[in-house]
Amino acid sequence: MIDVRNVYKTFWLPQEVKALVDVSVAIAAGEVVVVIGPSGSGKSTLLRCLNRLETADDGHIFIEGIDVLDPRTDINKVRAEVGMVFQSFNLFPHKTVLDNITLAQRVVRKRSRGDARQRAEKLLKKVGIQEKAKAYPDQLSGGQQQRVAIARALAMDPKVMLFDEPTSALDPEMIGEVLEVMKNLAAEGMTMVVVTHEMGFAREVADRVVFMDGGAIVEIGTPEHFFTSPAHERTKLFLSQILK
Amino acid sequence: MSTQQVSLRSKPRSRSYYIGAAAFLVLGFCLASALYIATVQVDYVWRWNRVPQYFFYKDREEVRADIPGEIKGLSAEGEHRRILLKGPEGENEFVVPAHGLRVAKGDLISAGDVLAVQERWKPGLLMQGLWLTIKVSIIATVFGVLIGLFAGIARVSANPFFRWAAVTYVEIIRGSPLLVQIFIWYFVLGTLINSILSKYGIEQISPLWYGVASMATFAGAYVAEIVRAGIQSIHRGQNEAARSLGMSYAQAMVHVILPQAIRRILPPLAGEFISLIKDSSLLGIIAIRELTKATREVVTTSLQAFELWFVCALLYLVLTFTLSMCVKYLERRMVA
Repeated sequence: MIDVRNVYKTFWLPQEVKALVDVSVAIAAGEVVVVIGPSGSGKSTLLRCLNRLETADDGHIFIEGIDVLDPRTDINKVRAEVGMVFQSFNLFPHKTVLDNITLAQRVVRKRSRGDARQRAEKLLKKVGIQEKAKAYPDQLSGGQQQRVAIARALAMDPKVMLFDEPTSALDPEMIGEVLEVMKNLAAEGMTMVVVTHEMGFAREVADRVVFMDGGAIVEIGTPEHFFTSPAHERTKLFLSQILK
Repeated sequence: MSTQQVSLRSKPRSRSYYIGAAAFLVLGFCLASALYIATVQVDYVWRWNRVPQYFFYKDREEVRADIPGEIKGLSAEGEHRRILLKGPEGENEFVVPAHGLRVAKGDLISAGDVLAVQERWKPGLLMQGLWLTIKVSIIATVFGVLIGLFAGIARVSANPFFRWAAVTYVEIIRGSPLLVQIFIWYFVLGTLINSILSKYGIEQISPLWYGVASMATFAGAYVAEIVRAGIQSIHRGQNEAARSLGMSYAQAMVHVILPQAIRRILPPLAGEFISLIKDSSLLGIIAIRELTKATREVVTTSLQAFELWFVCALLYLVLTFTLSMCVKYLERRMVA
């Protein structure tokens, strides 16, 4: 499904940072992969390279066999198949919840107003906020906004969902409702790549956990392996700090 | 908002507030008196009563017979009279206001005789100038906003063609005086275009349109910067969210970025419109009779320079003040 091979990425501004160093990972269809690591370890960069919000400097990224880094690839087609959920929700503040979810369906997928609306209402029901369809984003709580953002991404019927720290900007009491939606999505067999600090979610839902540090993948393994017998010193240190 | 105003009003004012307010009034009074005394010193006679005629005046128009003959009919049509004039060379009909009638039924008329006098209110030079100023400003604003929108979007484009073209345009326009630009539009481009047009027998373009073009391109450069700032003020995440859903750059711009940016740029855009109104006073130099040029002409005929220039300034003030009130209203609504 996703094949990342020897990817490098360096940021030059404001100073040189090697964000990704020889990163390779393959993700199968239906798999839920959780990426963890300290801040600045390159996990968000990896995620953003997958749909070319950041362009990797070197290496190859294939999504369903399509080379994302090839300049001839129509990246908009790839992105339509790859849903993304951001830490800061990024809902469109000038549009209602319903319009947030129908916009890309109509503009990109060329669906009719009625079809898009039907799909949106179904998804709003799924994430549990159908009564907020007519509200504007700033009238919703953070948890509700993030659930709308998930519905917005799902409305495109993506083959993969990328989550970039989806609960990091939320008040603690709202984290649960968002994770619940993500768990249900995983149970339905959605292919998911999740960057998060929610170790509970990783342990419970992940098929595999990727631990990154300093732009490189330190360790990949099942949650059991990961949380009970990590191989690397760096992983042990991180887990001991975070699970304190 | 309103509660805040109420609380401000009910707050008791300190003594220094009243002293300041009084000082302000005294200053205004002193300046006005100084001006008046100075004009008395040079024996200037203020004739404010002569000013209104340059806004509206009663035009006397004489209706004359074009053929000799006899008044055969005189029928009433409300406030008007229909005169039927029959003669050896044919017949003719005139409709004139009843109170200005100068002939009766049966009168014998020679060609050129006055049949009636019509009085009509007509806009004076100042009114015409004011209207032209408003017209030029509105047309130039419409085109200026279109140019500016396009240039502003080009300014943030990743494509060097668009970006460099926009930067060059903005820098050239903002870096040279408007007066010089008006001259270039009229004396250089205007001469070229009109010469070529006349070579192919096409009608000449009037100075008005070169004036409008210079104002529009001038305003466009400033609008472009406003638009650029507006686009860049939209959080990067908005673009990323739109693009991550598969929208193209243009789709993200049209559906996500611009609708949000336009709300933010409306107030500064209206401010740009205000300066455009004032800058249009320069157009008189290429024979466009806008408000300033009209005032100058009226001054030459009436010799009431003091009154008329004050009136001219006041008219601009009315235009700009009305607009800035609208801007305030807009801004308040944006915040709410």
